Amino acid sequence: MNEVVFLNEHLFWGNLGHSAVVVSFISSIMASLSWFFQEKNPLDKSWQKLATWSFQVHSLSVLTIIFSLFYIIYNHYFEYHYAWQHSSRDLPVHFMISCFWEGQEGSFLLWIFWQMVIGQILIRTAKDWKAPVMAVIMLSQVALTSMLLGIKVFGYKLGSSPFELLRNVMVDAPIFKQADYLSKVKDGNGLNPLLQNYWMVIHPPTLFFGFATTVVPFAYVIAALWRKSFDEWLKPTLPWALVSVMVLGAGIIMGGFWAYESLSFGGYWAWDPVENASLVPWLILIAAVHVMLIYKSTGNSLIVAKVLTLATFVLVLYATFLTRSGILGNSSVHSFTDLGMSGQLLVFLLIFVVLSIVLMAVRWKGLPRSAKDEDVYTREFWMFIGSLLLVISSFQVILTTSIPVFNKVFSANLAPPADVIAHYNKWQLPIAVLIAILTAVAQLLKYKKNPENAWKKIAMHAGISAVLTPVLYFAFGLEVWLYALLLFASIYAIVSNSVLLVPFLTGKIKLAGASVAHIGFGVLLIGVLISSANKKVISINETGQALNPEFSNRENVENIFLERGKPSKMGDYIITYVKDSQHWVNTYYQVNYQKLNSKGEVDYSFNLYPNGQINPKFGLVANPDTRHYLSHDVFTYVSSVPSQKGEAKFVNKKEHLVKPGDTIYTNNAWIILVGVNTNANPEDLDARNLKVLLGAELKVHTLDKAYDAMPMYGVQDNQAVSYDALVDEAKLKFSFTGVHPESGKISIETSEKDTSGDFVIMKAIVFPWINLVWGGTIIMIIGFMIAIFRRIGEFKRLDS
Amino acid sequence: MKKSYILGILLIGVAIAAIVSMYGDASTYEDFEAAADHPNKEFHVVGTLNREKEKYYNPQKDPNFFTFYMIDERGNESKVVYHNPEPADFDRSEKIVIVGKMNGQEFEASKILLKCPSKYTDNQVKT
Repeated sequence: MNEVVFLNEHLFWGNLGHSAVVVSFISSIMASLSWFFQEKNPLDKSWQKLATWSFQVHSLSVLTIIFSLFYIIYNHYFEYHYAWQHSSRDLPVHFMISCFWEGQEGSFLLWIFWQMVIGQILIRTAKDWKAPVMAVIMLSQVALTSMLLGIKVFGYKLGSSPFELLRNVMVDAPIFKQADYLSKVKDGNGLNPLLQNYWMVIHPPTLFFGFATTVVPFAYVIAALWRKSFDEWLKPTLPWALVSVMVLGAGIIMGGFWAYESLSFGGYWAWDPVENASLVPWLILIAAVHVMLIYKSTGNSLIVAKVLTLATFVLVLYATFLTRSGILGNSSVHSFTDLGMSGQLLVFLLIFVVLSIVLMAVRWKGLPRSAKDEDVYTREFWMFIGSLLLVISSFQVILTTSIPVFNKVFSANLAPPADVIAHYNKWQLPIAVLIAILTAVAQLLKYKKNPENAWKKIAMHAGISAVLTPVLYFAFGLEVWLYALLLFASIYAIVSNSVLLVPFLTGKIKLAGASVAHIGFGVLLIGVLISSANKKVISINETGQALNPEFSNRENVENIFLERGKPSKMGDYIITYVKDSQHWVNTYYQVNYQKLNSKGEVDYSFNLYPNGQINPKFGLVANPDTRHYLSHDVFTYVSSVPSQKGEAKFVNKKEHLVKPGDTIYTNNAWIILVGVNTNANPEDLDARNLKVLLGAELKVHTLDKAYDAMPMYGVQDNQAVSYDALVDEAKLKFSFTGVHPESGKISIETSEKDTSGDFVIMKAIVFPWINLVWGGTIIMIIGFMIAIFRRIGEFKRLDS
Repeated sequence: MKKSYILGILLIGVAIAAIVSMYGDASTYEDFEAAADHPNKEFHVVGTLNREKEKYYNPQKDPNFFTFYMIDERGNESKVVYHNPEPADFDRSEKIVIVGKMNGQEFEASKILLKCPSKYTDNQVKT
């Protein structure tokens, strides 16, 4: 067979990118090993030099990979599978960036990039910890870059390259027998419409930065075990752990906000395995930070602090394995398919698990532990209990999330609980109550001391909260007693931490991190409680008539049928589907809401534009639209639209004989003939041999608006011709059909557009006080930020 | 006894409780026959759409009523009722996972998960 020489391919960029992947892989091995030997031979500085050089080569090659891939996507080089699969010509530049992380290879690349950036910070700031910490981080970089290799080693494909050519992926397709196949590949597959959202440009980088940062505390703990150092690792680790908590937390909540703003499951959290997988390491890391603080202040619980820190990174890897190996299969709506890398991901996970366990076991005996029994009346005791509760919370979440893994390992036949939310709430709600109470109690106590007046304060704050709880309980209209407990606990957290915050406000604001973060946590809990407990689906048919006598509708009747132009009552609203319009690939359905007050009068009105993309690949992809108020959100999305819209039909034809000044009445409008225009401008008409052209100036009044219309009449080639005018908003068409000079009247024919096939099925939900969820999170993040500055300060003071 | 031991024992107890609760709440993948045997229990049933028989969705009449016939992995067929609009892209589904319980001759689904030929596997160049 003759070798086909393909035309117009841009092989340079793929070769550059792929070579850069190989270089980055080899240089990360070099760097990791060199730093390892540097640590072993501290006096031989040549290792240090080699390591730094390798790392700089590595960093440069990572940037080269990213640049090449972006260049390929930006220039629509569809000879590359990645560009063809994840992008298309019509994408704006900011969505081209999202194309990057739509594929697995791109998200690994993002992770690699952040870990490289973190490495660059560490070689400048880690001082004498540089060698062992960088050795561990580069080991993780070796594992990650191997995911992009796409090279066969002994018959096993190592990684998956983003620079694979389309013709190599689909070897058998006949199109690739032609040298000029590229001229036939006109466009790529495009970006998943769900990802065409601004939050999808910013959420993945934040989340992956969060994931990437968890390697630093892990590396410090490994380094400390390696060096048998007990105390010195803590000060550099704390700021990094807090950065990780902050960024990962921000990433998770951004994911929730994206889901809320652009997905149609109606909420910000669905206990989906992919969400859980990022929540669990975050909770464990928060527990780890608390235990580190206990160790810092009392010298106790070192082992637990180390184990939790190691577990955080291992859980990040486990989360990656869960979401990227395809094992979740039937249990997640996020469909990640196996790229054949599950074995490699498992090896990656096992390397770090074994490393952690072996090092812990070897050093186990030498690790200090406290001999005396813990005093119950101290802050550290209750902080420790709180951390354990966080561990239990994560354990429960990861356990149920791992059901598909148990199925694989034990060949079981389990499916996720039918009512997932009830299953998680049963555990997470009581845990949240206890944790919120502990944030108040532990903060009021002191380390190592047993202060007399603390108990008075604890009781007093509990009393204040107990008084506030029923007030808010009834104000928010809650109805379940367990919710009263959670409400009390959250108020308690806010009250106590606010009181603690006051002295910091006038001076050492730097010390206020914990109080601020805990206040945010309390506010977040109240937001979660009210927005989900009182979430109300309002799109329920209230006409009183059974829609479908043949069937009994008992449950789930949560979608409303809206015919275009016909107002319906829904909760306290009168809603009307007004019209649709097309922007780019999306169809926007204008839905008018009129809010009624208690007297049944219209209070205010607004329009929502939920949109749908009728995507040839994905079907109807609905994006909600939300009206935000301080106290609640009105959330709306279209759950179904007519599959095809036929040609518009016009019915109820009527002819009217009118003279200027006369009024025509139709079912939903009145029309005044203002005058007959003899100078009508036949701009758009085929004006050949047009003898007479008259325009009827009509003013069309509907209930709330007036429109102008001008149907025209002419004589062309001795034949009467009429040019219609359509007023889409009023669903009316006008034809000027004749002139009657003897009576001075003209004939106007009106017809109504038949919109019975023009409808949307819509769902609407009111989320009360959802702003507390976002607000609480922002307060929490501010708290983390204050704490980070404090701990960086402590770390910097180390050498001065 | 040291408090840390008590805590340790408590922790193990709670962990066991979590495992038990996971097993207790977990649903199972079954076929229609098993679902018919336990009419009040919710199951996951995996199957394919029977394209020979007609599915029904008439939003003008009732936007919250959708029925279709599904064949489970053992070849049994059942009518499925879903009190929600027809899911987008339903016709293109390769595999359907329904969650719900048997009610007489009909399976009442509370959730439908579709496995469509995703773009990741849809490796065909359109020219």
